[in-house]
Amino acid sequence: MMPKTSSSEAVPLPEIMILPSRLLSAKTTEKLLNKINKVKHVRNVTVSGESLPAKVSWGPGKGLDVDHPERKVIEVAGKKTELRVQVGRVFVEIDDIDHVKKALKDIEKLCEEVLPFGFDMEVGRYSKYKPTVSDYKSGVKVI
Amino acid sequence: MAYKRQFYPGSTIPAKNRRRYVDPSVKLDKLRELAMEDVVKILGHRQPGEEYKSIHPPLEEGTEPDCPIRQIVEPIPGAKAGDRIRYVQFTDSVYYAPIIPYVRAWMNVSRFRGVDTGTLSGRQIIEMRERDLEKVAKELIENETFDPARTGIRGATVHGHACRLDENGLMFDAWQRYRWNAKKGEVEYVKDQVAIPLDKPISVGKPLPESELRKRTTMFRADGVDMRDDKEVMSVNLRIHRLRTMAGFQPFAVKGV
Repeated sequence: MMPKTSSSEAVPLPEIMILPSRLLSAKTTEKLLNKINKVKHVRNVTVSGESLPAKVSWGPGKGLDVDHPERKVIEVAGKKTELRVQVGRVFVEIDDIDHVKKALKDIEKLCEEVLPFGFDMEVGRYSKYKPTVSDYKSGVKVI
Repeated sequence: MAYKRQFYPGSTIPAKNRRRYVDPSVKLDKLRELAMEDVVKILGHRQPGEEYKSIHPPLEEGTEPDCPIRQIVEPIPGAKAGDRIRYVQFTDSVYYAPIIPYVRAWMNVSRFRGVDTGTLSGRQIIEMRERDLEKVAKELIENETFDPARTGIRGATVHGHACRLDENGLMFDAWQRYRWNAKKGEVEYVKDQVAIPLDKPISVGKPLPESELRKRTTMFRADGVDMRDDKEVMSVNLRIHRLRTMAGFQPFAVKGV
């Protein structure tokens, strides 16, 4: 999902990391993200996980389609996105540190519903919030 | 020589299982049955029914030079026929796969003749003459060292052994060589070990329940049986470590350890 504000933050905003006990299917990912999107004070959501290549990259089968059942288009907040990873972590950015406690409670509740196999949650900052020197060197522009 | 072969120390479940797997006199439990034709398809080295390709003339033609070692060692059937060397590779999940790569290596060299093994953190490759490899692969897929959900037959792109399992309890595979058949409750291979699609799915059966896997495991884990809880295993490991540190490859040079 895109940030709800476009300015870059001077102070790192808190993130809630959800670590499910299992790698998520595309269906569960879609369900989870749509539910998180409805939680108040959520500013941005990022997912990471195991890469699902479209093609076999080497060996005698090089170039063949992998057709992984979890690599598919999901619809989150009305927007279609191709999921290219099997999701293992979800990072939810909250718009203010004062809202973390409430958001954490809401997110925990929905995770209990969507992730019956268990999960862990942490609060911290897991992704960069301002461009690095490498970004500057490779020409990444500040939004 | 008055020497009785020993296999592995310890009294905990993983130690006992390691001993069982490595000891060739123990017959391992057969948990599933697979047709040889299906094994050949999963390996992907030749079509079922196709002749074995050879890299040298059969040994009985007598073109080999005279050699005392050749007279002592009985060649395996594939070597006699001059078969190519082919491979099978297994990936073992850290989530209580029945066996781990290092124990696989010990087991293979202890149980099979004419085998070359290579061990990495999450996978174990076996290289062998083709017809012998097929027999060994069949045995290893059918016996208790294999679990359909937590062991993978993967020639390349083996990544997944240290990943969390998916929602169906299967080890992650980026090339999706096998899938969960929810109707049957079984795992089936839809691609061979290098991800070339098979003409029809090959079922490798139902995954073992967690409790059964923990009984069959060879894995020492902090959330299972901690290696430090097995005093004999620890003392042997520390002894090996001490001898190697003090004397390198001359452990006999150290007295009183």
